[in-house]
Amino acid sequence: MKKFKKGKITMTIIIGIMCFILVYVMFMQFRVVDETNLTSLKTKRESELREELDNWQSKYEDTSNQLEQAKANLEEYKNKIDDSQSASELLDKELKQAELNLGKTDVKGAGVVITLEDGDVAVDAEDLIKLMNELKRAEAEAISVNDQRVTNLTEFADVDSYIVVNGTRLSSPFTIQVIGNQKYLESGLTAKGGYVDSQISDGKKVSLAENNDITILKYSGEFEIEDSIKIK
Amino acid sequence: MVFIAILIGCIIGAILGINSPLIPYTVSGYLAIGIMAALDSVFGGIKSVVEKNFDMKVFVSGFFVNSITAVLLTYLGNKLNVDIALAAIVVFVGRIFIDLAIIRRYYIEKWTDWAKKRKEEKQNNAKNETN
Repeated sequence: MKKFKKGKITMTIIIGIMCFILVYVMFMQFRVVDETNLTSLKTKRESELREELDNWQSKYEDTSNQLEQAKANLEEYKNKIDDSQSASELLDKELKQAELNLGKTDVKGAGVVITLEDGDVAVDAEDLIKLMNELKRAEAEAISVNDQRVTNLTEFADVDSYIVVNGTRLSSPFTIQVIGNQKYLESGLTAKGGYVDSQISDGKKVSLAENNDITILKYSGEFEIEDSIKIK
Repeated sequence: MVFIAILIGCIIGAILGINSPLIPYTVSGYLAIGIMAALDSVFGGIKSVVEKNFDMKVFVSGFFVNSITAVLLTYLGNKLNVDIALAAIVVFVGRIFIDLAIIRRYYIEKWTDWAKKRKEEKQNNAKNETN
């Protein structure tokens, strides 16, 4: 260490080196501080990164929990929708059945076509009512008279020389389309001493034909229920 | 001679420092304390030059040992969860100001002495001329 006092050159070199180290470190520090904001991830140490990772992980967990909950809610809603859907399906089915029963829909199927015509004696409403009864007894499912759908409220009334059905005046010949079990219908009508026989013997023309593709149109009017009140 | 060495050291240090690789941010905190300790040593060195008791051994050993100790203490403080860096900064900056005050006073005295001498010389000259 005595060298320092002896040689001025050594001292100068050492001071130069010290200056170099000091300024070098200072500028390094300046750069780091300058660039820290720009490349914060690069200059961070492992522990800091780990901390941040931990933060993100907890955030991720929170978010995934929320997602899970949302999914559960969604599932619940779906179930509810399914339930209501099945309920509405059931209602729809019932409605359709009711419409079918009421004659509010067009129907199609196998059945018989009966033609009733004036012969020596004119056809009157009584004949049609009787026929309807016969058909209903033979388990007819849908009936129309000259394309007038016969519903549970359909009337048959003699007015002058016409027969009024569903408020519409009809006249001979009458084409009665019936959907139902063909065997029952046919045998019910053509039995000995049955409807066809009696009508023919009364002097009216009756013919009966099977048809596998009968289309019966719906009742086009409205059922106006005003006076009856539903009893629960 | 010494000033040339200081200048060359500073220039090379600045050039290399600008082109140095980036160091981790946490390490840079320790580095800052080291820099403050080194600056404190430098001012202490200048002060001792002014007081005419400059010792190379004391200066060089103080420069390095103070820096390294400051860094180690800061590290220890981080481990103990105590902000030793702040205390170190206070001490270092306080000492830098004290040293600076001594240096300043020395140069002010020098300047006032010089101004006085000049004044006296002028007065003497004036007296001589009148005489």
